[in-house]
Amino acid sequence: MNSVIETKKLCRFFGSDETRVNALQDVSLTIEEGEFTAIIGPSGSGKTTLLHLIGGLDNPDSGIIELSGVNIADMSGAELSDFRRDHIGFIFQSYNLIPVLSAAENIEYIMLLQGVPAGERAKQVREMLHMVGLDDLGDRRPAQLSGGQQQRVAVARAMASKPDIILADEPTANLDSKTGISLLEVMRGLNQTQNMTFIFSTHDEKIMDRATRLIHLHDGKIERNERKQA
Amino acid sequence: MLTIKLAWRNLFRNTRRTVLTCTLIGFSLAALILTDGMVLGMVDVMIGSITHTLAGEAQIHRKGFLENLDVDLYLKEPDSIFDIIDQDSAVAEYAPRVMAGGMFASSYNAVGGLVYGVDSVRETGVSKIKDAIVQGKYLSGDDREILIGKPMAELLEVELGDRIVVTAAEVDSGEIAQELFRVTGMFEFGPRELDENIVFINLDKAQQLLAMERKIHQIAVRFKRAADAKNRELTLYQSLNDGKTEALGWLDFEPSLGAMLEMTNYTTLIAGMILFLLASLGVVNSMFMSIYERIYEFGVAKAIGTTPRQIILLVLYEALFLGLISCFFGAILGFGLGSYYAENGIPMGRMEVSGVVLDGNMNTKLALDQFIKFPIYVILLTVTAALYPAIFAARIVPSTALQRSL
Repeated sequence: MNSVIETKKLCRFFGSDETRVNALQDVSLTIEEGEFTAIIGPSGSGKTTLLHLIGGLDNPDSGIIELSGVNIADMSGAELSDFRRDHIGFIFQSYNLIPVLSAAENIEYIMLLQGVPAGERAKQVREMLHMVGLDDLGDRRPAQLSGGQQQRVAVARAMASKPDIILADEPTANLDSKTGISLLEVMRGLNQTQNMTFIFSTHDEKIMDRATRLIHLHDGKIERNERKQA
Repeated sequence: MLTIKLAWRNLFRNTRRTVLTCTLIGFSLAALILTDGMVLGMVDVMIGSITHTLAGEAQIHRKGFLENLDVDLYLKEPDSIFDIIDQDSAVAEYAPRVMAGGMFASSYNAVGGLVYGVDSVRETGVSKIKDAIVQGKYLSGDDREILIGKPMAELLEVELGDRIVVTAAEVDSGEIAQELFRVTGMFEFGPRELDENIVFINLDKAQQLLAMERKIHQIAVRFKRAADAKNRELTLYQSLNDGKTEALGWLDFEPSLGAMLEMTNYTTLIAGMILFLLASLGVVNSMFMSIYERIYEFGVAKAIGTTPRQIILLVLYEALFLGLISCFFGAILGFGLGSYYAENGIPMGRMEVSGVVLDGNMNTKLALDQFIKFPIYVILLTVTAALYPAIFAARIVPSTALQRSL
């Protein structure tokens, strides 16, 4: 398998001198294409910081982050913006759809940023809605959808840009157990059928159960890194 | 297209705020239209007060007469000038006049001033002497008639029918001449310098008093269109401005009025700047509130790849729509108020501005410019005011904005 993410001696600290917090210390890891990875650990262990760095939302103080062979650690804000648009999909804990756009328009928005032609966008939106089981709900605004349905739209939005990886931060935290499982099945299905790489930051055991790899973080360091059969 | 749709819908996420901001901008535009309408209306009244009261919209004299009203500088062959004026289709009315400094004495007192000899019929077409009569009657053509201002009557302590002796110097010879008149009417123009210092007698009597035969000092002109007073291409101006005579529009013989008009333009500019400054602050405040409310959303938008340029564009589109909606309603309001006050006038009471008496209602004046230029300025200003919040939104750091989640 090809590695899509490789970090080497990644360090990130906040504050200075006495208030300095080492959020990440010498984190080196490799994530292969098609992996369904969960980063787990207690609060303050550095999960979010690691996802920020992998997603190009923040720059490390030292170390290297290579996504699909490209070092993003030294990219400028504008370069990172383009890189995120074309290579990374995000799923957020509280869905974060644009409230004034319909479900279909939310999915279309990212393709619009990529400059995909209108006809192609419409076709892909239909496919994405079908993929997440929301064929008939494309015209609804987020407020007219349940939490689970909104998160499915968020998954479709993350998929729409055809990214190399999808980063998901506690995607099931706001969902009830049944809806959470249903959403996870959708994501696992996409992972298996389309070989899409997923990285989760989570406390949810349902995700841990389905993950093919668990990365345990503690005090900014990788404590354990285990591959398992889901 | 989706960005435009997004910007439009964003406006209605907080309808109350949008309505309040639109109200602020719309009212500013309406206030500016009304202010400009008032200024234009006031300018019309001022010009009208000066040109229609006595001076006329244009005047023809011997060159140099106006400088010190030298009675010897008269128009020797007025008939040939009348012929030229008659050929100019832009002229509505004209009236010949004789003017000379004189002394006016009653049985009790004497004052100095200016005696006007006027053609009682023609004069009604160019000035408001007849309208200004507050006691007695206007000139009928009788030999001994004299009209004096009410304040002058008080100074001379005379009533209607009382005698007044006018003493003046004959033209060319400078011989002193005297004539007895009876007060037939008293007038009140408003400005005291007019009412205290001027008397009107019949033209032929004035010519006789000053030994001028049929010669005159001045021809006051009124045009069919007031704006023609400034049109230098008219036959009147082209033919009569030679070395001997001069034909002047009101801007030439009342330069102070021109300066005053320039000042009124600044009034609109200053009022506009104050109104727009307030509106701009409102726009900046509203846009910032809107951005702060959506800071997390902007973080998400940037995280998924929206570029700073696209964020700026989105916020500017929102400001553009805000400006368009505001201008639409502001222009309607401005038109409504402007039309109402153009018809009914704004009660101003009686006041004197630079020697011009404004009395009664001030009728506003609507102009097409007010509904084209002003809304464009407002929209440009609204978009410009939104630039700072837009740049702020574009600079939002996604990792900071997303701190509560990813």
